[in-house]
Amino acid sequence: MGVIYRLLFLTLFTTRALAGPSLLAPGQMVDDFSWPSAVQGQPGQRLAEQRGYPVMLIWTDDCHRCEERLARYQLLAQSYRHQGLVTWVIWTPQKNKQPPVIKLPVLEADPHWKTGWQLETTPAVMMINGDGRLDHLLTGGLADNYRATEKLLSVWLSQQPGKGER
Amino acid sequence: MKYLLVIACLFSSLVMAAEDAAVAADIADVKRSVLELNKDLYALEESLLSPSTMRAELYFSLTNGKYFEPLSVEVTAQGMKPVQHIYTQRQIDALKMGAVQPLAEVNLGPGKHQLKAIVRGRDAMGQNRELMIEQEVEKQDKPLLLEIVVADDDSLQSARASLRFW
Repeated sequence: MGVIYRLLFLTLFTTRALAGPSLLAPGQMVDDFSWPSAVQGQPGQRLAEQRGYPVMLIWTDDCHRCEERLARYQLLAQSYRHQGLVTWVIWTPQKNKQPPVIKLPVLEADPHWKTGWQLETTPAVMMINGDGRLDHLLTGGLADNYRATEKLLSVWLSQQPGKGER
Repeated sequence: MKYLLVIACLFSSLVMAAEDAAVAADIADVKRSVLELNKDLYALEESLLSPSTMRAELYFSLTNGKYFEPLSVEVTAQGMKPVQHIYTQRQIDALKMGAVQPLAEVNLGPGKHQLKAIVRGRDAMGQNRELMIEQEVEKQDKPLLLEIVVADDDSLQSARASLRFW
C-alpha cells in the first residue's frame, strides 16, 4: 500500500516539476531569465533589468527567418516604445534554422542555458507589467492573434505607469 | 470622596500606562533576540552548507575591454556545478568601468581540479571570439577565491583571459 502512495506522490511531483513554466498564467510572477542574443555579437538580455517597464515577449514557434510573420509586431512594438514598452522576440533554435533578422532584440531560448526557461505553448505573446507580473498571455498563431494583441496592448499600456522610452 | 476616586482612577491609569510601556519594551527585546537568533542560525546554516573547506568563489573582471567584449562565460571543473552567465549591455558597460563581478559561489572539494573557463564575446572588429582558460587549481582547506581576468594586450591588439588567485 505504501508503495502505491509513494508512486502516486512521485507521479504527482514529477508531473508538476516537468510542467514547470507551461503552468504560467496571468496574475503570476514571471521567473527571471537571461538569454543570449540569437544575433551573433549582440549582448544578452535579462528580464530583471527591465523592472519598472512593461515588457512584451513574442515567443515564436517554427521560425526560420520568419521576418514577414513578425513585421507587424515589430511596427507595433516600435510605435509604443516611447511609452517605455520593451519588446523581445524569443526564438528557439532548431536544426538548420536561422533566427529572424529584425530590429527588435531576438533572444535565443536554447535549453543549454540554465539561466532561462521554456514556455511549452508556443507561439505566444506575453505582457509582463513593471512589477514582473504576467498580465496577459495570448497563445496561438501570431498572425491570428495580431488584432487581439494590438487592441489589448493599447488598453494595457494606458493602465501602466508611464516611464517614457527606455 | 469624589477627589479620592478621581485620584485613584488617575493613579491606576498611570500604573496601566507604565505596565503597557514595560510590555512594549519586553516585546521589542524579544523581537531583537529573535532577529539575533535568526542571524546566528543563518550564519550557522551557511557554515554548515558551505564550510570553508568546500567554499570557492569565482569573480570576473575586464581590463579596458578595447579588444574584447564578453557576451557569456561558462566555467566547469570536475566535482563542481557548472557556472554559466550571460552578459547584458549594462553589465558589459559596468565591467568596462572597472567593476568586478561576483560570478558564483560554488562548492569544491579539497584537492587538485582541472578548471575550464570559456569566455565568449566579440572582438574589436565585431567578430565572434572565444577566450579559453584550462588550468589546474588546487583547493586547500581555506576558501578558494578565483578571478577570471580578461585583459587587453596592446602588443597583439587582442585580449587574453587568465586566472588570478586572491
